[in-house]
Amino acid sequence: MRGAAVVATGQTRHASRRDDVSQPELLREACRAALDEAGLRPRDLDAVVISNMEVFEGRCLPELWAGEGAFATGKPCLKVATGGTSGTSACIAGFHLVASGRFDTVLVAGFEKHSEGPTQSGMALTDPFWDRHVASGAVGNFALAVSQYMASRPYLTAEHAARVAVKARRNAARNPHAHLRMPDLTVADVLASPMLADPIRRLDMCPQSDGACALVVAAPARARKLCPRPAWVKAAVTRHEQPFLGDRDNRLGTMRTLREAARVAYQEAGITAPLQDLDVAEIYEPVSYAELAWYEALGFCEADEAGVLVESGVTELDGELPVNPSGGVLSSNPVGASGVIRVAEAALQLHGRAGERQVEGARTALATGYGVYAWADVIVLGTEP
Amino acid sequence: MTRPGVRIAGVGQTRPLREDPRAIPEMVLEAVEAALADAGLDLEDVDAAVTASVDLFDGLTASNVAITEVVGAVMKPETRIAGDGLAAVMHAACQIEAGAYRTVLVVAHAKPSLVWPRSVTAWAMDPVLLQPLGVDFLVCAGLQASMRAGPDPAAAVARWCRIAATRRAAALQAVGELGVSAADLEARFRVSPVLAHPLLADLAAPAADLACAAVLRREGAGREPGVKLLGCGLDLSPHAPGDRDLARPDGLHRAYRRARAQAGLTRRARRFDLLEPACVFPHEEELFCEAVSAGPADLISPGGGLYSGANPVAAGLSRLVAATRWLRGRRAGLALAHGSWGPAGQAHALAVLEAVA
Repeated sequence: MRGAAVVATGQTRHASRRDDVSQPELLREACRAALDEAGLRPRDLDAVVISNMEVFEGRCLPELWAGEGAFATGKPCLKVATGGTSGTSACIAGFHLVASGRFDTVLVAGFEKHSEGPTQSGMALTDPFWDRHVASGAVGNFALAVSQYMASRPYLTAEHAARVAVKARRNAARNPHAHLRMPDLTVADVLASPMLADPIRRLDMCPQSDGACALVVAAPARARKLCPRPAWVKAAVTRHEQPFLGDRDNRLGTMRTLREAARVAYQEAGITAPLQDLDVAEIYEPVSYAELAWYEALGFCEADEAGVLVESGVTELDGELPVNPSGGVLSSNPVGASGVIRVAEAALQLHGRAGERQVEGARTALATGYGVYAWADVIVLGTEP
Repeated sequence: MTRPGVRIAGVGQTRPLREDPRAIPEMVLEAVEAALADAGLDLEDVDAAVTASVDLFDGLTASNVAITEVVGAVMKPETRIAGDGLAAVMHAACQIEAGAYRTVLVVAHAKPSLVWPRSVTAWAMDPVLLQPLGVDFLVCAGLQASMRAGPDPAAAVARWCRIAATRRAAALQAVGELGVSAADLEARFRVSPVLAHPLLADLAAPAADLACAAVLRREGAGREPGVKLLGCGLDLSPHAPGDRDLARPDGLHRAYRRARAQAGLTRRARRFDLLEPACVFPHEEELFCEAVSAGPADLISPGGGLYSGANPVAAGLSRLVAATRWLRGRRAGLALAHGSWGPAGQAHALAVLEAVA
């Protein structure tokens, strides 16, 4: 792929309810911050890509109303929606627009305002013939997948997952945008939290957040002018999966989409040993157990060794490969924005603008997206074009 | 670095029906198989898919999930554009021009027979200021037509009846129904009931269930025969009807300028040999002609355009399919395909196509 780079990012404060703003105003908050960071005016944008899962707010074509919040009026505007991967897929769409040579500067903006809609009802709108009568939303879906995964990984325990949950919320305490900032959370707290659907407890699960995130993607010459340390797109790979849960056994354990997307992305980015070659990772973990599975799928460890990574602190903020210094999806989850946040946080690390959650000397960063049908996006950013 | 050219290697679509009895994946499969056969390719030859669908029309969350398998996206890249299929074409073209993929399948579908479109489109309106007033896309179309009609609505309606009758007659002739004249239709349309003043019921293109597909392919070295996608243009206008002059096609004109610029059409004199606008109402065709400076001498929708079946998501891609088929076999020719969505034409997409001998 031709060159493109993330040059600026902006985020809202994520919270369970943002009653102080409408959906366009929420978008505007993030987009304004991204443009300010880049030193751009709205008229400098060539196109806008918006990410949002419209059914969660009960909207149809939400960009028609909310697009003005993303400065999309009078401009080419694409709306991308692919479930949990919406945000990362929108970022990849933005990369492609710029890399095509047709657009120099593109704003990618994702948002969700879960407080204004019945997310669980939206999640239940699955295939009307085969799936809907057993549709149970994210928690039920993950409970099934996690049960299968844990049964196939006898060395992993609920405590390992709880450690992931604790890491996320402690990291989030360093992130001023994060929704769940819990610096004093303990493994015991997680294990004592109410059971939602066995084996998933409340603190194992991501929240529903109101929030938005935006980033500016620029062509090489423009990127160098707009940012002292652009985050260059080294690879951006998507893999989708067949939709029916019963058609693939142990989906979380195999996670062939993420494995294949990572394999291709690493090849394109010249990464041969992910644990050593990557400096930071922002991965899309809607549930604590998923992060353990992603460690395997992303090649951070072999099967059954995810627990060792957690126990040894390899993925802590001061570890060999910090995973989710931002607090991840476990700490902030406005679905349409969550993937954009992953890419923005990865870019922030390379820009050197991550504040208290900065990983010193980060030069190569990974961002991933995950959709409930096991769709996967893998993006590698680097400080060198 | 030279930007690679993009060809329309194959197109396919289902027959527009008021109510297609099949499930969405079955409809999409037919369109995909037709497009692939037209291109002489298999699903294995496709590197990526870009799909266009709208969740509330399908009653599904992440509505591309229903068609992931039939578009061959299992273990492949897929992007869903929630909007008109022609916007998906632009995205697919950018993917190819970026060097990310060589062959991209673009698919658009919707089954308006499954839903009550007025409810669905009401949910696209500003929920604070407009939706509570009962404003939907039809209300906005009526408002736009009213502003467009100006001080003499009767004359405007007469004009629109002629346009609608001409397109409807062409659409009927295209499917072998030769016994209905445009004059007869025009007389019938004039006495049809009011739909949204001043629009009459028969002025509306009939809604249809539809799935369309196109295979976009990176051009190889040299000049290959076929149809080339020269460029695209998109635009999103302000949402609130009061924030723009509905009687003027400003957003469409911006999209047109972008499409011409992308296509490298710098000579103003270069005319289009075919215009395929996506217009549900005839006043929209007037606005289209104004935006692209089309006149009586221009060829517009010889197959009847959306009067063969108007689909809220696949309309633009159906215009690209029609334009591609028309251009095929011609030694030269330039066509403009159009897609539109949102209240009173809030969003537009245009694609410039060229026949290459």
